Amino acid sequence: MSIQSSMKTTLICVLALSSMIGGILVPFLPIGPVNLTLITQGTFTAIMATSVGLLIHQCGLISFGHATFFGLGAYITALLLKNTTLHFTLIVALAIGLPTLFGFLMALVVVRQTGVAFSMLTLAVAQVFHEVILKWRNLAGGDDGMSVQLPKILLGFDSLIFQTASTMFSISWCLLTAILLGLYLFNQSRWGRLVFAIRDNEERVRFLGHDTLLLRAFVFSLSSAIGALGGVLFLLYNAYVSPELLHWTYSGFALVMAIVGGAEFVLGPALGAMVFLFTKDAMGDITEHWQAIMGVTLIVITVWRPAGLAGIAETQFKKFKWGRRDVQ
Amino acid sequence: MNPVALQGIKLTRQFGGFFALRDVDISIPAGEIRGLIGPNGAGKSTLIDVLSGRSTRSQGSVLMDGQEIHQCTPQERRRLGLARSFQRTSIFTTRTVRDQLELASHWKNDDNVQEVMDHLDLKQHQNQVANHLSYGHQRRLDLALALIGKPQVLLLDEPAAGLTMQESLRLAQLLRDLVKRWQITVLLVEHDMDVVFTVCDRITVLNLGEVLMEGTVDEVRSSSLVISAYLGRNAA
Repeated sequence: MSIQSSMKTTLICVLALSSMIGGILVPFLPIGPVNLTLITQGTFTAIMATSVGLLIHQCGLISFGHATFFGLGAYITALLLKNTTLHFTLIVALAIGLPTLFGFLMALVVVRQTGVAFSMLTLAVAQVFHEVILKWRNLAGGDDGMSVQLPKILLGFDSLIFQTASTMFSISWCLLTAILLGLYLFNQSRWGRLVFAIRDNEERVRFLGHDTLLLRAFVFSLSSAIGALGGVLFLLYNAYVSPELLHWTYSGFALVMAIVGGAEFVLGPALGAMVFLFTKDAMGDITEHWQAIMGVTLIVITVWRPAGLAGIAETQFKKFKWGRRDVQ
Repeated sequence: MNPVALQGIKLTRQFGGFFALRDVDISIPAGEIRGLIGPNGAGKSTLIDVLSGRSTRSQGSVLMDGQEIHQCTPQERRRLGLARSFQRTSIFTTRTVRDQLELASHWKNDDNVQEVMDHLDLKQHQNQVANHLSYGHQRRLDLALALIGKPQVLLLDEPAAGLTMQESLRLAQLLRDLVKRWQITVLLVEHDMDVVFTVCDRITVLNLGEVLMEGTVDEVRSSSLVISAYLGRNAA
């Protein structure tokens, strides 16, 4: 690793640490309970969007079914909390581990495809889970969803810390930052670079002696794990889960967030999720047709700035840094 | 005579009723540079594809060092020491030269990145992004990717395509040096007859998916069969 890139990595680590500290301090700012609740929900969605963005960024794959992993994370946590006396750590491990394992096995089949075929396969799998949960009322309450009562003490803390916006925001923000940092470091590693090389020229990578299928499956399962973690946090905060979380439209929203934020950047999808939620909230106050406004926004960004909001931010930063106006 | 490094026995590749290859036998001793020539559509690239695992064979066997490898995936064949280059330059255009050569050496500890860069005159371009290189250097990079890890057998599909005559002859010389230095066995598909006649020890001629003849450079140049099917009077 060159001195320049190791300095950049150190700087990114320092920024991540600062972001975590900032996240812990945010609840002390006078932003009001509504906004605090909104950004707390935003962090769960940001984690979900990051999982979708990871697939676009690393593998060039567009998933219409990642709500599966978010929903499974939430449902497995809810079902185990409700029906078993397992230790909370084990419940969380299972709620993340099982969707990850399923994601890996699913990936061994679906990542052999690219483009529309891949998107349709993920969509089909997601809809299967949605239908199962929707129809199986005895298991998960069907259309009504299911609510859970968290045990009074979780991990030695009062479980209220997971259901209070000020504390839950700090927890989920720190986890989101850790995920983004982890992905940045993975991208810089040889394995991360190899995954990019697979995205750019898979056949050549195969003829260099690498098993491309396993690496793509690994990235898919990593993104499944991130999605499942988002679902676990969502469930802990809301203590309620419904089949909507598994519906393909939820995957679609995550995709829109990733594209608006800029899927080519690690930070982009999370940024897109926050902007999406705040815009939705603001627009929702003005008109019930907020989806039309979001649709137009998506078209404008896709055509005008395909690199998304993170791309715009990067261009502005470069202009500022170099004092030039000709940066594209 | 050296032991056989790569062998294809009765290789057939069929697309519906069309035979791209029909009962092709080819046997290349270790350390030899074998030319593979023939008119367009003769099956040269198909043979390289079948030998490298890019395309499946309909019938026949592929052996490397006497071991059957036709069940192996391309990546397994590469790990066994069978490397190839592509007719169309197949590199990672957005990555630097060094970066992609390092990626190529990922699975092997005794990588020869530095050595390959030195030999192929890529050292001065190591920090350049590949799509900023000249076409000639991109072709070299393609070859360099195949040479990482010192493969035993190298399949080259028109490495001189699009190069100037000077570049082609320089590439030919380079190949000769590499084969001598690393004891690589090479199967070379090339339309540039100057390159083929300069570097090859023996030549196999394909026509319409079948082996027309095999022999030394002089034998092939003087064969009336080859002249009428491919070379024309001027080459003799």
